[in-house]
Amino acid sequence: MSTDVLSSDSHEERKIGATREVFRQVTRDVAWVAESPKPPKAWYAALAVSVSALLLGVYCVTVLFQRGIGVWGNSNTVGWAWDITNFVFWIGIGHAGTLISAVLFLTRQSWRTSINRAAEAMTIFAVSAAGIFPIIHTGRPWFAWWMIPHPNDMGMWPQFRSPLMWDVFAISTYAITSILFWFMGMVPDLATFRDRSTSKIKQAIYGILALGWRGSARQWHRYERAYLILAALSTPLVFSVHSVVSFDFATSQLPGWHTTIFPPYFVAGAIFSGFAMVLTLMVPARYLFNLKHIIKDSHIEAMCKIIIATGLMVGLAYGIEFFIAGYSGNLYEQFTFINRMFGPYWWAYFAMVSCNVLIPQFFWFKKCRTNPYIIIILCIFVNIGMWFERFVIIGTSLVRSFLPSSWAMYSPTFYDIGTFIGSFGLFLTMFLLFFRYLPVIAIAEVKGVQPEAHAGKAH
Amino acid sequence: MDKHNPHDETAHSEPAEQPNGELYGVLAEFDTPGELIEAARKVRDAGYTEFDCYSPFPVHGIDEAMGIKRTILPLLVFGGGFTGLLLGLLLQWWTNAYDWPWLISGKPIWSLPANIPIGFETTILLSVFTTFFGMWILNRLPQVWHPFFRLDRFARVTDDAFLLGIEARDGKFKAESTSELLKNAGAIAVESCYLDPRPESRTVPKWIYAVIITTGVMALIPFAIIAKARASTSSEPHYHIFGDMDFQPKVKSDATFELFGDSRGNRGVIAGTLARGSLNADDTFYRGLSRAGDGNPSWLAELPASLEVDMKLLERGRERYDIYCAPCHGYDGRGEGAIPRRVKTLGGVWLARNLVDPQGAVAKMPNGQLFNTISNGFNTMMGYAAQIPHRDRWAIVLYVRALQRAQNAGPQDVPADCRNEVR
Amino acid sequence: MSNAEKTLHPEEKFKAGKLAGSFTKTGAGLAVAFGLISVLLGMSQGDHWKRFFFAYVTAWSFVLSLAIGALFFVMLHHLVRARWSTVLRRLAEIMASTFPVLAVAGLGILIPLLAGYGDLYYWAHHDAHNHTINHHLISKLGWWLNPSYFAIRYVIYFAIYIALARTFIKKSREQDESGDPELSNRMRVLSAPLMIVFSFNTVFISFDVLMSLAPKWYSTIFGVNFFGGANIAFFAALILISLVVQRSGRLTRAITTEHYHDLGKWLFAWTFFWAYTAFSQFMLIWYANLPEETIFYKYRMFSEWQWVTIAVAVGHFAFPFVFLLSRWTKRILPSLSFFAVWQLVFHWVDLYWNVMPNYHWEKTQVDGQTVFSGPMMGDPIMHSVGFSPVDVTMWLALAGVFLFAVGRSMTGNLIAIKDPHLPSSLSFENY
Repeated sequence: MSTDVLSSDSHEERKIGATREVFRQVTRDVAWVAESPKPPKAWYAALAVSVSALLLGVYCVTVLFQRGIGVWGNSNTVGWAWDITNFVFWIGIGHAGTLISAVLFLTRQSWRTSINRAAEAMTIFAVSAAGIFPIIHTGRPWFAWWMIPHPNDMGMWPQFRSPLMWDVFAISTYAITSILFWFMGMVPDLATFRDRSTSKIKQAIYGILALGWRGSARQWHRYERAYLILAALSTPLVFSVHSVVSFDFATSQLPGWHTTIFPPYFVAGAIFSGFAMVLTLMVPARYLFNLKHIIKDSHIEAMCKIIIATGLMVGLAYGIEFFIAGYSGNLYEQFTFINRMFGPYWWAYFAMVSCNVLIPQFFWFKKCRTNPYIIIILCIFVNIGMWFERFVIIGTSLVRSFLPSSWAMYSPTFYDIGTFIGSFGLFLTMFLLFFRYLPVIAIAEVKGVQPEAHAGKAH
Repeated sequence: MDKHNPHDETAHSEPAEQPNGELYGVLAEFDTPGELIEAARKVRDAGYTEFDCYSPFPVHGIDEAMGIKRTILPLLVFGGGFTGLLLGLLLQWWTNAYDWPWLISGKPIWSLPANIPIGFETTILLSVFTTFFGMWILNRLPQVWHPFFRLDRFARVTDDAFLLGIEARDGKFKAESTSELLKNAGAIAVESCYLDPRPESRTVPKWIYAVIITTGVMALIPFAIIAKARASTSSEPHYHIFGDMDFQPKVKSDATFELFGDSRGNRGVIAGTLARGSLNADDTFYRGLSRAGDGNPSWLAELPASLEVDMKLLERGRERYDIYCAPCHGYDGRGEGAIPRRVKTLGGVWLARNLVDPQGAVAKMPNGQLFNTISNGFNTMMGYAAQIPHRDRWAIVLYVRALQRAQNAGPQDVPADCRNEVR
Repeated sequence: MSNAEKTLHPEEKFKAGKLAGSFTKTGAGLAVAFGLISVLLGMSQGDHWKRFFFAYVTAWSFVLSLAIGALFFVMLHHLVRARWSTVLRRLAEIMASTFPVLAVAGLGILIPLLAGYGDLYYWAHHDAHNHTINHHLISKLGWWLNPSYFAIRYVIYFAIYIALARTFIKKSREQDESGDPELSNRMRVLSAPLMIVFSFNTVFISFDVLMSLAPKWYSTIFGVNFFGGANIAFFAALILISLVVQRSGRLTRAITTEHYHDLGKWLFAWTFFWAYTAFSQFMLIWYANLPEETIFYKYRMFSEWQWVTIAVAVGHFAFPFVFLLSRWTKRILPSLSFFAVWQLVFHWVDLYWNVMPNYHWEKTQVDGQTVFSGPMMGDPIMHSVGFSPVDVTMWLALAGVFLFAVGRSMTGNLIAIKDPHLPSSLSFENY
């Protein structure tokens, strides 16, 4: 790669342009994905699958709107089931993107530059997929605008003391912030695309999106401050979002829902599942689009390590919950946790524990952190486990609540499953389009962390 | 792919086809970020102010070399965030505590803890808006056009070029000496940039106005429709997008239904059928009847054999009795419960039987009849079959018997070893 | 980060030398003087030493949290291969090596407990587990909360803490001699699994020492909240200790404003984290309003304690939060040290707020058995804060013990001189 150019003339008199070759190489490596006339065949295949899944989802949601929530497996007892499980699952997936773009930026982890753009995009798409569920789970999505406070003839206002309203504000703030942060990060790279485009249409589109960016030092100065501030704002925001999601459950009195550790525990779980999803997507993508020298093995390894760490945090929270259920002497708490383990949904509980606590332990071995197939398989297991975690919390607490007379079982219908698959279709379709048409790697940031970025400095 | 090669280009190259107007400034290219910093320092030391450096990524150390002051953006963001907090809290106070006070789960009308999450989100939201829009405004972007865009070299600033541009409006600017300064500072190429003299290059094309106006008008249409709907009335029925939800194929309770001859939606119990679990075949337990001897039913004298008689049942009987019977019959069973006494004070009459009178009817009733009275009522007393399950009725029977015994206790009921304590 | 890496300045003084002695002397002086005053004050309370021991738990958990924060800092440093903090790591290691002394200091609680003193942790009272009369008090906790089992856990907690601290300090000092970069690597590998042990240990020690003061009440986030507070206190203490070390003429060139700036950022970050966990705990309990949980806050919000509650919310969070937002508050050393002292004081107030309201329970004799009543059992009587001078003198005495322990372990170098990351830490710059 480009480093060869440097090392060859490091001892001789410096050749003009050697440093710049490195930067040019970065530009080329990223831009070819969008510039090549035809993407790889695998991309078309993946797009076909994703769009079919999306269409299935559209069909299921259409039927749902026409016929009502009855087409799902929900019942009086299990009022929240796959809908909210999927919602929490997708919101969680999104958190890794913000963690990479904000928290790792604040802690000066320069390896983040190779994946932050794609991870931020993933955040936005995951939040979009998540946002569908709270809206459709009401059964009357055409009244969703009632949640926006506005003066109206009914003289009604949203009920701001409800955690569900907090959700509306948290998720929309999160979506807006993620989009703005993502777009702002992309502007210099869109300018690169603008300057490289040859067709008029591309020049116009990328030109408008690049806002006339010139890369001037005075602009970079404010841009960098703004980037830092957005990172500093996104960090508490990302904590607040999943905390608010956890409040939906924890403010209630239902055993299994009401526990004070939920906010940090949900956040850790969200990051955990999000990183698993980033890896599931990026490991194949770096082969498919030949980005292995930008998204390096060490970056993949670092993400695997974050998966172990957050997986253990989740495990610690499971342990504390169990211990406190016993310690409290509260019969309902104790029953709920015993029921999770040995009740009718014991298999969901064991799927959750084995996928979330045991399976990530394989990442202690370097072999597992470097073999792409093992990584993908383990990450898929983590995602399955995190989905089950939400189902265990939501489903099994409801099927066996205080009143034995309202105990019931839950099983999903075709429309439950179809809607879930559809949300995957939406997510993947958007992700594939992003990969084809937008700068998938933060070009300017990757250039900034190359050793050559300091070339020629006196001190 | 690699269409730009820095070695091909000579200094002072000018675009061949485009006519040149006034001189805008000069643009110098440097090979490395470090050289750019050094050059920037020299240019600043030479007294220039209207200059800027251009690079594909933020070069660290250049702010100090160029003498860029720290931006005021953080201060603006703090202001924005604080406004967001106040607005978020104000919104919640005004809507839920002032304009439409709304009591939720016994919490105070204005309960701060529940308003903090949204207050936090609005703080972040306004901070983010201030950061994002503030940054672009301070950077004077979006900017559609800039004179430097005329140079091919400038297109490479987003790829690999490190450029320094000095504008002609700078007081120190002189075409020759400025170029010389830049070359001495290590520039590998210096180029002059001229403004486009053609008048049309300075005006916005007409089609852009057309697009803006059309979009603006189109954007007003929904508002116009809403305004019209609010101002006028209509006799048209409500438009149902999803009919299934509004008109469900079912008959609601007590509604008419023409399918049946009597036009009633409610259908009675079909003769000869029973609901599940309501057969209650055991006459002794469920009806207090005995078929001993000749097989004809008579009131059961004792308690049903299937009933386990113990202290627990008696306790249960007391509890149920105190709930259902005591209001009329009194806690002691003498027929002077709260209701008869109250009715008496109001000047009326409310008869409740004395259950414990040893000469009264109740004392002589067989257990089965007593059970039946509780179940189906007697005279003005209503039946309690709907409220009290069978086993509990038996428990009450048991308790009434205990009351009769207790209320008519004699010395023989006192344990032998305690008798001399009673006087 | 600049590419020009520095080495330790040749004239830099980095040996502990006499500084250790002044720490031990100051610490021992404080401990003895205020210890004696506390004993006298405790005796004069006439409450069978109850106030004395409540003050002791507050003060002891305060110094314990400093050491816990220090150990976490060292482990995290290795785990994430941090570079900027290398110049400060030895000071943190010195603070983390106070665990043996703290374990001994903790015997002040443990020994009376084992000797049958039941006025501090009332679950230790032999009548507390009598379900017929005190069933509303503790249910089914006998298996966890009893003095001998508590003692066993105490030994385990400190065995783990001491072993963890030892492991890292020994290797770090070894590297001072050999300069072997492989040692850094080994510490990094070790830090990952040991972090798991550390987390469990910290969560459970907080349950045992603090949460069980009100055994009927429980909160799953309690340990995380304690951990957040411990980190605030540790960073505040590290800022102050670094300043003292520099004031004595040591490490004057090694620790720069850039490092203080980062310490300030961490102080800020943990302040936020602590507030986040504290708010989560409060909001969820307040919202669900379950009697056995909400009594904890009801007592602290509607009695005289409400003023302490407000003081903790404003003093430990809102005020430092707003000021530490600014870059300059963290870079100007007088203002940074002001907030370090401030946060240390409010960390103590926070612990005081957690511990002291439990003081007001009472026991009465009914049929020869002890019946407990008090704030945590739903007693509606509103008590006053009942501040006592022994609360503060005890705190100062144990702070003295901590300083003494710091002085004891302050031997040799005050900086990891041969750490491979030292050059990049020395030249560290914020951007």
